[in-house]
Amino acid sequence: MIKTKIKIINKLGLHARASSKLTELANKFKCDIRIKKDNEEIDPKNMMDILMLAASYQDEVQLITNGIDEVIASKEIENLFLDYFGEGQ
Amino acid sequence: MINFNLNGIPVSSGISIGKAKLLTHALMEVEHYTLDKKEIKNEIKRLNKAITAVKNDLNKIKNNLLKNNQIEFETFINTHLLLLKDKNFSKKPIDIIQNSFCNAEWAIKISLDEVVSRFDQISDPYLRERKLDVIQVAERITKYLLGHPGGQIGSHVEPNSILVAHDISPADAIQFKQIKYAGFITEVGGTNSHTAILARSLNIPSIVGSKLAKNIINNDDLVILDGDEGVAIINPNQKILDQYKNKKMAWAIEQKKLQKIKKIVCTSSDGEIIKLMANIEDSGDIKSVKDSNADGIGLFRTEFLFMNREDLPNEEEQFQSYKSIVKSMRGREVIIRTLDSGADKMTAADKKETSNPALGLRAIRLCLSEPRLFMTQLRAILRASYFGKIKILIPMISSIQELKQVKLLIERAKLALTKEKIKYDENIEIGGMIEVPAVAINADFFAKELDFLSIGTNDLIQYTLAIDRTDDSVSHLYNSIHPSVLKLMALTINAAKKHNKEVSVCGEMAGDTKLTRLLLAMGLTNFSMHPTSILQVKQKILETNIKKIKPLSTKILRSTDSDSIETIINKINI
Repeated sequence: MIKTKIKIINKLGLHARASSKLTELANKFKCDIRIKKDNEEIDPKNMMDILMLAASYQDEVQLITNGIDEVIASKEIENLFLDYFGEGQ
Repeated sequence: MINFNLNGIPVSSGISIGKAKLLTHALMEVEHYTLDKKEIKNEIKRLNKAITAVKNDLNKIKNNLLKNNQIEFETFINTHLLLLKDKNFSKKPIDIIQNSFCNAEWAIKISLDEVVSRFDQISDPYLRERKLDVIQVAERITKYLLGHPGGQIGSHVEPNSILVAHDISPADAIQFKQIKYAGFITEVGGTNSHTAILARSLNIPSIVGSKLAKNIINNDDLVILDGDEGVAIINPNQKILDQYKNKKMAWAIEQKKLQKIKKIVCTSSDGEIIKLMANIEDSGDIKSVKDSNADGIGLFRTEFLFMNREDLPNEEEQFQSYKSIVKSMRGREVIIRTLDSGADKMTAADKKETSNPALGLRAIRLCLSEPRLFMTQLRAILRASYFGKIKILIPMISSIQELKQVKLLIERAKLALTKEKIKYDENIEIGGMIEVPAVAINADFFAKELDFLSIGTNDLIQYTLAIDRTDDSVSHLYNSIHPSVLKLMALTINAAKKHNKEVSVCGEMAGDTKLTRLLLAMGLTNFSMHPTSILQVKQKILETNIKKIKPLSTKILRSTDSDSIETIINKINI
């Protein structure tokens, strides 16, 4: 199991476009993936879960991956956040 | 089948013949009924079938968008597809069916209500807005369940369909540009409602304010839509159909004739050159601008860049958009109006309910209260000004202080760009929309301060006559030839002339051929309108001797009521 803390740095937070990207990426991996914010924990493979998590700019979330490809999953998802979801700001 | 007529307000001319397509809100029609235990299995099957059908539809739309390279829309469809694949989204209704033995439509509605209430608790306004995506997907599924798929914006539409809707919101409008409808019929609205303006910009016949249209017209009814007379004929007999086919052909020939005057310089018969400019909303309108051979863009409404999205366009995105438009105009001038949002054209940032949005924090008021948003736009416009002839137009100015504040901010934006060694047009002209009566009354003061003036008649009429443009119960009072409106326009035109400043009319009046001669008589030499109206107006100008009709303007301005004004207008139009 890998746990990583990630801060949301793109200005719009996990809005529709970013959420789509995250769902698509998460579904590429076999391992179990969770994203935790405060006391809420969701499965990023489900689009609606992500939307309802409502993670905004500057929020801190925890990424938990658990399973066969957990290392690469953790890394790639973290990179997506750090890359501002490809939005440039 | 019986044929019958339906009346409405004609807002966009031409004749269309096609099948009716009703825009409905399926979720409002859903009823609840209890199922037998042995029906449960089939009900779940029915739901799954509907979900698969919607999935297939969305995939089809997505592929079409990819083929046409419309990436922006693809992400939007993608969100919907991912929602459908979401386990919680599609499983929840199944649980509800199993536990409470209800019909699938009801299960969708119940689970949607719960999701929506959870979304409503989200504090971030951008993220809260995403509930709309969920609602739209649920709506699609419900439509399949109810047995009338399609009809929703963005879904597949047969060519030549006539859209029948309660109303078309400005946010729907952008998506209609992708779909080729042959006409619109709406139950509410007036001559200057958004549906009307949209229909004219797409050049398709339309009538609005046709009450009960949705109750009377059924999906796939054959409809003749006469946008000149304001009539829709439902299920016409062969004789009427033939008659209208001929009428439609005659109209097409008339349109062809107009093509012949396209290349001619627009001059009145007594030799005065009149400038004809185009109003546009986005780069998609450039083609019709070129088709009309307009002298330039007299009004680029930038708010459409800000609509139908959950974020705000950044400086680079705006810059690219302005640059591509100014470059495509190849040296002809482009007047960019800064964000005119608020009121009815909502953007993500200012979606707040107010009781009187037309008088609220909108246009330049909004921009001055959100200086960062305004600065971003000013920088983008200035940067684009290096690539062609751009002028800045400020909407809804209401005082000299406001104007001074705007100028100061523009100076600041210029200074910052100079420091960053970014090139721009240092002599860029700044104009103001004359649409608040307070400004027209003292047009003299404003003409002195501004480089050019542009009369926005739609709002000027709304504010002068105290009539809400979006309220169809008062739309009969909306009157563009009200003596007080014409007086304010005359004051503005004369003030501009006195200070040697250019003045144009950019509202709907400029594109109305019935009023072309009136405006010419009042001394207007610069018109800006929908590109699709330009050739018709040009035709009228070519046939007009301005010197001859000028004396009538004094008579018009002395008239006490619009009935007598109308009589004079009819006389000069002969």
